[in-house]
Amino acid sequence: MKKVEAIIQPSRFESVKDALYKIGIEGMTVTEVRGHGRQKGHTEVYRGREYTVDLLPKVKLEMVLPDALIDKAVDTIVEAAKTGNIGDGKIFVSSVTDTIRIRNAERGESAL
Amino acid sequence: MTAAGYGLYSDSGKRSQTEIPGSITLLSRLGPEVESERQRIRQQFEADAGSSSTPRALCELADRNLQRVFSEVLRVHNGEAQGLSLLAMGGYGRRLLFPYSGLDILFLFGNKKAEAEFRPLIKEFSRVLWDLGFRVSSAGRTIDECKRIEEDNAEFHLALLDRRFLSGDSNLFERLDTKILPGSERQARPFLLAQLDRLTKDRLSRYGNTIYHLEPNVKESPGGLRDYQATVWLQTIRGESKDARTAIAKAVDFLNDIRCFLHYSNGRNDNTLTYELQAAAAARSLGIPDGPTKDKAAELALASERASGHEAADWMRMYFRQARILNCSLLRHMEQRTPVTALSLKERIFSATRVTKIGVAKPFAVRDGLLEVVAPGALSDRAVTFSLFTAAATTGIPLSREAERTISYILTHPEVRAQNVELSWATLRDILGADYPGLALRPMQTVGLLTEVLPEFATIDSLVVRDYYHRYTVDEHSLGTIEHLQELGHVTDGLGANFSPLWKTVERRDLLILTMLLHDIGKGMPVDNHITGSLQALESVAKRLGLAPEEEDEVRFLVEHHLDMSATIQRRDIFDQGTVSLFARTAGTLERLQRLTLLTYADIHAVNPEALTPWKAEMLWQLFVATANHFSRTLDRDRLQASTEVSLLAQVRAQTRDAKEGEIENFLEGFPRRYLAVYPASEIADQFALCQKLTDEPMQSAVKATQHGFSLTLLTADRPALFATMAGVLAGWGMNIIKADAFANAAGVVLDTFQFTDMHHTLELNPGEIERFRKNLADVVNGKAALEPLLQSRDSANRAKPPKIPVDTRITFDDSSSLHSTLLEIVTQDRPGLLYAIGSALVKEECNIEVALIDTEGLKAIDVFYLTARGKKLTEQKKEVLRQALRANLG
Repeated sequence: MKKVEAIIQPSRFESVKDALYKIGIEGMTVTEVRGHGRQKGHTEVYRGREYTVDLLPKVKLEMVLPDALIDKAVDTIVEAAKTGNIGDGKIFVSSVTDTIRIRNAERGESAL
Repeated sequence: MTAAGYGLYSDSGKRSQTEIPGSITLLSRLGPEVESERQRIRQQFEADAGSSSTPRALCELADRNLQRVFSEVLRVHNGEAQGLSLLAMGGYGRRLLFPYSGLDILFLFGNKKAEAEFRPLIKEFSRVLWDLGFRVSSAGRTIDECKRIEEDNAEFHLALLDRRFLSGDSNLFERLDTKILPGSERQARPFLLAQLDRLTKDRLSRYGNTIYHLEPNVKESPGGLRDYQATVWLQTIRGESKDARTAIAKAVDFLNDIRCFLHYSNGRNDNTLTYELQAAAAARSLGIPDGPTKDKAAELALASERASGHEAADWMRMYFRQARILNCSLLRHMEQRTPVTALSLKERIFSATRVTKIGVAKPFAVRDGLLEVVAPGALSDRAVTFSLFTAAATTGIPLSREAERTISYILTHPEVRAQNVELSWATLRDILGADYPGLALRPMQTVGLLTEVLPEFATIDSLVVRDYYHRYTVDEHSLGTIEHLQELGHVTDGLGANFSPLWKTVERRDLLILTMLLHDIGKGMPVDNHITGSLQALESVAKRLGLAPEEEDEVRFLVEHHLDMSATIQRRDIFDQGTVSLFARTAGTLERLQRLTLLTYADIHAVNPEALTPWKAEMLWQLFVATANHFSRTLDRDRLQASTEVSLLAQVRAQTRDAKEGEIENFLEGFPRRYLAVYPASEIADQFALCQKLTDEPMQSAVKATQHGFSLTLLTADRPALFATMAGVLAGWGMNIIKADAFANAAGVVLDTFQFTDMHHTLELNPGEIERFRKNLADVVNGKAALEPLLQSRDSANRAKPPKIPVDTRITFDDSSSLHSTLLEIVTQDRPGLLYAIGSALVKEECNIEVALIDTEGLKAIDVFYLTARGKKLTEQKKEVLRQALRANLG
C-alpha cells in the first residue's frame, strides 16, 4: 500500500477528480491548502495598497492505494493536472504500513 | 442535563459487589411487565400517528417502577425511609419522559449520617433500574447542602425547579419544598437568571441563533423543546404565571410527538430530525390532528417511501411554524426586563388607538437599546409599521420582541383595520439601501410582513432543500447573506476585512440586497434550474414594485450570474490573465464587479458557518483585485464601434426625436466601452440631446439631484485644461467631488460627469442657484470669467482640519497597460479642491487627459488618469517632473 499526495492547481481539481473516478479511485481526502514551490508569489496593488500573494492557493489530494494502482493513479493525476506552466504542482508517494477500518477493525489492503 | 451535570453519582449500571439478595427475583418479576407496558405505549403511539399522552404514560410507568424498586430495596436492607427522600427533577420532574430519555432523580438525605447509611442501597437501586431499562441519572444532597447555591452547577438548581416527590420520607421533601428552597431560590434569583441567560445564549449560539436548520435537533436547536423549558424556568424564577396560550401548548405537543417519534425510530436518545425521518414523519402526518391515521406498519413504511420531497417540505414548514412560536416566546421573555403590564396585548392595541387619536407624537421609542412600540394602535397604519422597520435599518437599533409580537398581532387580526397597506418601492429601497437592512428584514420575515411585501419570497419560506453543504432553510440562507453583508460595516479583521471597504462604498446597495432576497427563490419553484425561477420571480417583483428598467436589469444580471464568481475561483486559474479578462467581460464595470463580489462573499458565507474558508475568501479577493485592476488598466483599449451596437442604437433612437441618419452613430463612435456600462440608454439619449445643442452653445451642462448629492454632466469640444477648470469651478462653489468620469469620442467631444456632495448646502437649499452655477461654469470654461477669484473666496472656508485617518500619497505610473497612454494612479488624502490641484499640475506639465476615473473611498481619493503629452506616452523625464509637481500640489 502506498499513500499518494498530490498538490495541484485548484482549477484542475474537477478534472483530476473525474479522471481518478474513471479509473476506479473514488476515495480521497481533499484539503484547501496554500503554499509555493518554485512558482513564487506576486504583488498586486489595489487602491494604493499592496497585496503580496506569496502563498498561492492549491488543492491537496490524499489517497492510499494498493501498490498495483499507484502508477496508473500517478499517470492519471499528471495527465489531468498538467498545464505545462510553473505551479502545476507535485505528487508525493510514500509507503503505508497498515490500514485499519474503524467500523470493523479490518486491516490491510482489504480495508482500503 | 445529566448526572454528570449535577455532579454527584455516576450511574454506570454496572453490577456492584454488594448485590441485594432479592434483586434477581425482583428483576425477573418486573422485567417482562415493564417491557410489555413499554410495548403497549409504543403501539398506542404508532396507532395514533403520534400521541401527546406518550411522555406522560412513560413517566407514569417509570414512577410506578421506581417506587416499587425503592420499596423493595429498602425492604431488603431492612431499612426505613426516614431521612431519605426520592425526588424527580428536570423533564422527569415535569412528568415528561421520552422513550430513551434519562431519568433525573435526586436522593435527598436528612443529614450526612443518613447519606453514609443509604449509599450502598442507592447503588443497588440504580443498578436494578438500569437493568429494567431506565436510564437513571442521579444526584444526592443533604438537606443542608440544598440551602447553598452551587455557583458552578447552575444546571442542578434549574433542574431542581421542577422537583417532584416520588417516594421515601415525605416530611423531608415537604421541608425542602416549602421551607428551604423557596427562600434560597428567591435569594439566588439574580444568579439563576444570569446563569439561565448564559446557558441559553450559549446553546442558541451553538446552533447559529436560528431555528431554520435543515436537520434540526428538536430538543436543543433554537425553537426546540429546550426553548420552551427555558421560558418556563424564566417565568418560575421571576414568579410569573406560566404562559397558557393555546398556540404554545400546541407547539409543545407537536414537538413532544416528534421527539417520541425520533426516539422510537432511532432506538436511542437522538433528537435530530434527519431528512429521512422528515419524510417518514410527513408520510404518517405526524402531529397533524386531522391527518389520515395509518395504523399498519407496512402501510406506513410504504407511505414513507412514497412521500415526495414536497410533502416533507410542507411538513417541515409546519415544524418551523411551531418552532418559531417557542423561539419567539423564549426570546421575548429573555428580553423582558420590566414586568409586563396587566393589560393584554389586544387591550393595549385598542386603548392605544384611542391615545393616538388625542395625539401621541411618536408611535415608537428606544428603550433599553431596542425599538419599542409606544402606541400599538398606530401600527394599524402600515406606513407607520414600515417607518419602524426603516428606523431599525437606518439606525441599527433592533426591534424588541414585544414590538414584533404587536405587529404580528395586528397583521393576523382583521378586527384591527389596516390602512396604507401598499409598500412603495421608494420605502422598500430605503430599508434595503440602509446600513442595517437585516435588522428590518429579519423581523419582517418573523411577523409575516416580508411575504406580504414580496409574495414571491413565500415559495422559500421555511423551505428545506436537501443539500450536502447547506445547513439552513432557503429563506434563512437568504436572510443570512444580508446579515453577513451588514456585518461588513463593522469588520476590521478576519475573513471580511478586505470586503468591508467594498460594502461601505458599494453603489445601489438596495439592488444588491434585493438580489440577495431573490437569488434563490427559484429553489422553491418547479423549474429545472433555480436561476430561471428566480428570474421569473424578479419579473413579477419588478412589475409590482415599479422598478426602473435599469434597476431591473441590474438585479437580473446579479441573479443570473450569482454563481459565476464562485465557479471561477474554484474551477479556473485566477492568476491567468485570460481568466481575468473573460471574467471582466462578464462583470462589465467596476461597480458591478463590486456588487458581484459582495454577493458571492455573502452567498458562500451563509451556506454554513465553515463554508467560507480563509482559502476561499482569499481566492475571491484575488479575483476581485485582478479584475478591478484589469478595468482601470484597459479603459482606453476597448472603444466603441457604433455601427455594431445595433440594439443600443435602436434604444437610443427610440428615445430621441429628430435625430438624422448617422448622428447617433457619430456621437457614440470612439467612446470607451465603459461608457456603455456606466449609462443606461435613457441617459445616453439625454446626452445625445445635449450634444445636438452644441451648435447653439459651445458648452452644454446638466445638473441633477441624486440620492447622495448632485451630478453634473458636461459636453463640449475638447480644449486644454478643461477637466482642471471644471474641477476648479466645483471646488470654488464648495462642492466635494466624489466620483468623476472623463470620456471623449472620436469627434473630439468631451463628456465629463462629476458626482459631488454639496458641502455647504448651497444648491440644496437654494434651487435657483443651480442655474447661476451652470452659467458660472460656462463662463469660466468659455473664458468669460476668471477662476481664481472664485477659488480664493473659498480658500479659507475649505481650509481642511487635520484628517482623523491620514492617507499617504502614492503616485504610480504604468506604461504597460495602454498602447497609447501612460496610466497615472494617485491615491491620496481626499479634500476639497483636490481634483483641481491634480488637474492644475497636469495642465502645467502639458499633459492631456484621455480618460479619467475618479473615485473616493472614505477619506481616500483614488484617481486614475490616462495621459498623453503631444499625442504620445509620457517620457521618463516628464513623469519625474510631473511626480514632483504633484507632490508639491498634494503635500
